[in-house]
Amino acid sequence: MNRRQFLTYGGAGAAVLSASEEAYAQATATRIDLSVEPADVELIDGRVVYQLLFYGAAQSEPRPVIRVTEGDLVTVTLRNNAPEPHAFAIPGAPGAEIAAIAPGGRGEVTFRAPRGGTYLYLDPLNAPAHRLLGLHGALISTPRDGHTPGGALTPFSAETLTPATRLLFDAMRDDPTARFVGDPWRPAREKIWLFAQIDPALCEQAELRRPIDGAAVQRTFAPRYFTINGLSGFDSSEAETVKPKGYVGQPLLIRNLNAGRNTHAPHIHGNHVLELSGVGADGSVVVRDNIIERDTWIMRALDRKDLILPFERPQDIPPGAWPPKEEPFPLRYAMHCHTEMSQTAGGGNYPQGLTTHWELLGPTRPTATS
Amino acid sequence: MAIDFTKTGVSGEQTFDSFGCNVWHVNPDTPDLVRPDIRFTRQVHDGADVLMPDGREVRFWSFSDPNATNADKDKPFPSPLIRVRQGQVVHTTLKSAKNTHTIHHHGMDPTTFNDGVGHLSFEVSGSYTYQWRPANAGTYFYHCHKNTVLHFEMGMYGPLIVDPPEGPGTLFTGGPRYDVEAIWVADDVDPVWHEYNHDAGLCGEDVALDRFSPRYFMISGVPAPRTLTDPRVIVRAKPRQKVLIRLINGAYSVLRVAFDLDATIVAVDGRGLGRAASPWSRPIPLPRGTSVDMTSAQRFDFLIDAPATPGTYGARLEFRDWGTGEIHAGGRGVAESRIIVA
Ligand SMILES: [Cu+2]
Ligand SMILES: [Cu+2]
Repeated sequence: MNRRQFLTYGGAGAAVLSASEEAYAQATATRIDLSVEPADVELIDGRVVYQLLFYGAAQSEPRPVIRVTEGDLVTVTLRNNAPEPHAFAIPGAPGAEIAAIAPGGRGEVTFRAPRGGTYLYLDPLNAPAHRLLGLHGALISTPRDGHTPGGALTPFSAETLTPATRLLFDAMRDDPTARFVGDPWRPAREKIWLFAQIDPALCEQAELRRPIDGAAVQRTFAPRYFTINGLSGFDSSEAETVKPKGYVGQPLLIRNLNAGRNTHAPHIHGNHVLELSGVGADGSVVVRDNIIERDTWIMRALDRKDLILPFERPQDIPPGAWPPKEEPFPLRYAMHCHTEMSQTAGGGNYPQGLTTHWELLGPTRPTATS
Repeated sequence: MAIDFTKTGVSGEQTFDSFGCNVWHVNPDTPDLVRPDIRFTRQVHDGADVLMPDGREVRFWSFSDPNATNADKDKPFPSPLIRVRQGQVVHTTLKSAKNTHTIHHHGMDPTTFNDGVGHLSFEVSGSYTYQWRPANAGTYFYHCHKNTVLHFEMGMYGPLIVDPPEGPGTLFTGGPRYDVEAIWVADDVDPVWHEYNHDAGLCGEDVALDRFSPRYFMISGVPAPRTLTDPRVIVRAKPRQKVLIRLINGAYSVLRVAFDLDATIVAVDGRGLGRAASPWSRPIPLPRGTSVDMTSAQRFDFLIDAPATPGTYGARLEFRDWGTGEIHAGGRGVAESRIIVA
């Protein structure tokens, strides 16, 4: 009954619960089965902490990515295999809430999949304590129609597109006059970066079943480990689920979420990113009409931002040194949080914290005709 | 001399050890070398004390310019400005002396070898020349990227400005002109961290580098409250002049910024808003009395029209904790300065 999992650090992969493989299928009814499980998780420095994690029904990996199509009827069932009550919510998806479920119990909710974009599912009880103990995951809603009038595909619903997003997605095309010469953005070109923070003292409090007061946790939470999709440092830098790869001209969408309490400052090398979206006061996806190119962006608690990593030729290489003849491909570029305390694990061990890198495989696409 | 990339993170096998603890230490030639238009040398300088308002001396490290004839030759902190023109091929030579360091030109997008990230390339124990050519005019900075959590806090950074071909006075081609310029680097200082050695926290050592409790708050090397009066910080303008404040958040705080005058954010992270290559962006108004938050390492360029009537107008930087969101040091974590219109 009390299925206590042991996760070796680095084992966390890309379990995907897919509501619909067909991006633009008819509205369908979809069922997602989840459970809350206690788990012992080994961190990057070998320390083992107690966490609470969402699992999919037949999945061996925690915090599965839930994929739905906008407007679909989605049923989520949740079994609570932990020794205290747990609940479920998706900020920005009206009606997607399951009230507290007693230990051993089961809950269920049916709701319409929200507008195209990136969402965070979580346990809202005792906020932010249960979320910070590990109970969170990403939900991706595919738009029913995500095209610009110019025919480019976007990750957002057509009716939420702004003039700026239309201009940008239309500017990614195989045309020498375009700003980003190359392929248009394609849905397969995507990485999810789900940030989280772990305070071993809070984990221990939960394991020993000491009472936890969410408001107190909000004040005293002191994270010592900083993860992307459950991984950090060396592991997140090598994980295929985290590390973007591609050739010049292959733009990629980064779906960035912060399930932690602390504000992160993700900073990317090699290319600037374009910030496409943010979160409204009600949790809805806000598609920006002023798209700013940044090398560093702000990720507050519960933030969700979609960004384009353009995979353009790194702009600050001298033309006489491009493409490089001596220095080999792939060119590899760091992404790390610049609030550098997040680069540590257990009080030191730089850079075993919130970091990864991306790989530029070559100066032209292998399939490009030129 | 051929470069052995297998002795670096570029082609060497990356292991848990090479990633953080036992990083590549070499002094290679620069690959794909081309003739520079301008050269800089930066020498690691690891011992200068800054006197804080409470009388405490805090140790900083920095980069000095050994070729300078002015104070930059023995500059305690912050490191001397690197200022170049868009399109110039730049060579920055790092001289490390003892210990290893790197230079990352933050916001520049060069090749991996010239990007200064140790675990993806190498740390410099002697000397290396970084090659880059800025394509976008704007506000950047450079800093050491070894044990960055500590070396950046220790002050191993300096501002980096790229002027458009037209030169200073224009922020970027087609962008706003300015008459008066200020370069402000915000920093927060936890004096406990300034007692550590270069490698503190590496290889499994727990020195609590996840706990940051700053007690001093600085703009461009000047601790508050001297930021209100120090000529290195305060801005002097004539009525109706255009003032550009290039603000670099070199702190580990979320910086809340407000001015007593209407301002406009005209560029972010070295990219002009509304420039021809970025028709999906536009400048952001920051009306007087409202604030904007900047996270660590972001750069915002603020354009302010000095009013027709002389006067003194405030600028306020609040240093807020990345966890609680509260102003650091029990509310003391503020640096204020002034724009004096006369
Ligand atoms: Cu940096
Ligand atoms: Cu960096």
